[in-house]
Amino acid sequence: MPENTPYMVTAYIITAAILIGYAVFLYRRTLKP
Amino acid sequence: MRLLKTGRWITVVGLSLLAAVYVRALAFTPVERTQGVAQKIFYLHVPAAIWTETGMILVGVASIFYLFLKDPRLDRFAEASAEVGMLFGTIVLTTGPIWGKPIWGTWWTWDARLTLTLLLFLMYVGYLLLRGAVTEPGLRARYAAVLGISGMCLVPFVHLSVYMFRTLHPQPIVLKPSAPSLPGAMLATLAFSFLVFTVLYVGFVTQRYALTLLREQTEPHA
Repeated sequence: MPENTPYMVTAYIITAAILIGYAVFLYRRTLKP
Repeated sequence: MRLLKTGRWITVVGLSLLAAVYVRALAFTPVERTQGVAQKIFYLHVPAAIWTETGMILVGVASIFYLFLKDPRLDRFAEASAEVGMLFGTIVLTTGPIWGKPIWGTWWTWDARLTLTLLLFLMYVGYLLLRGAVTEPGLRARYAAVLGISGMCLVPFVHLSVYMFRTLHPQPIVLKPSAPSLPGAMLATLAFSFLVFTVLYVGFVTQRYALTLLREQTEPHA
């Protein structure tokens, strides 16, 4: 079902963005608590 | 601070392993016959959902013990677990509709599982807003503990909603009384992903806990 591919790719990108984004956010917050 | 560094390292390991989960899920796990590649969203959605629920249970357990022991470590842990649980809840509520659109034909439906998951997410939001609104530390911890325990009471309804109500959401295929109904390769990918989400939860919570500790040291009345 190739028509499903964009949905899967979007979900994977959003998940990575949320997790990496929070890791960066935490890192920056802990630099200047 | 040692705790902070430990948390950072655990997070780095978790994020590196997440890349391995992506490779395994996308390249080395078979495509499901009826759903196609959209089914692969499952490997991110389910571990995030398990940690959204577990995160709130841990908030509730820490809150119960806090009310008896008044140990500030329990309150700090509850706060950290709530923030990370809300993060995983965000993943659940974004990946779920992205899977739902091609499979159900709709992004969202007000069925029991989806609505209760949204309610759980809103409990997290409310919990963190409450913490931000009360300035006196002892009062904040006590009020938050009560809300945290209420949130914990919601979790069984979220998990069992697919049995209690007629819902569009699929029945559990792994966390159920009988054996998991998944082929071995798919189950192995799910287990690996769950392990990585666990590492990320531990890394994030450790860092978040250390951040509160740092703030308390720099601003003693925070």
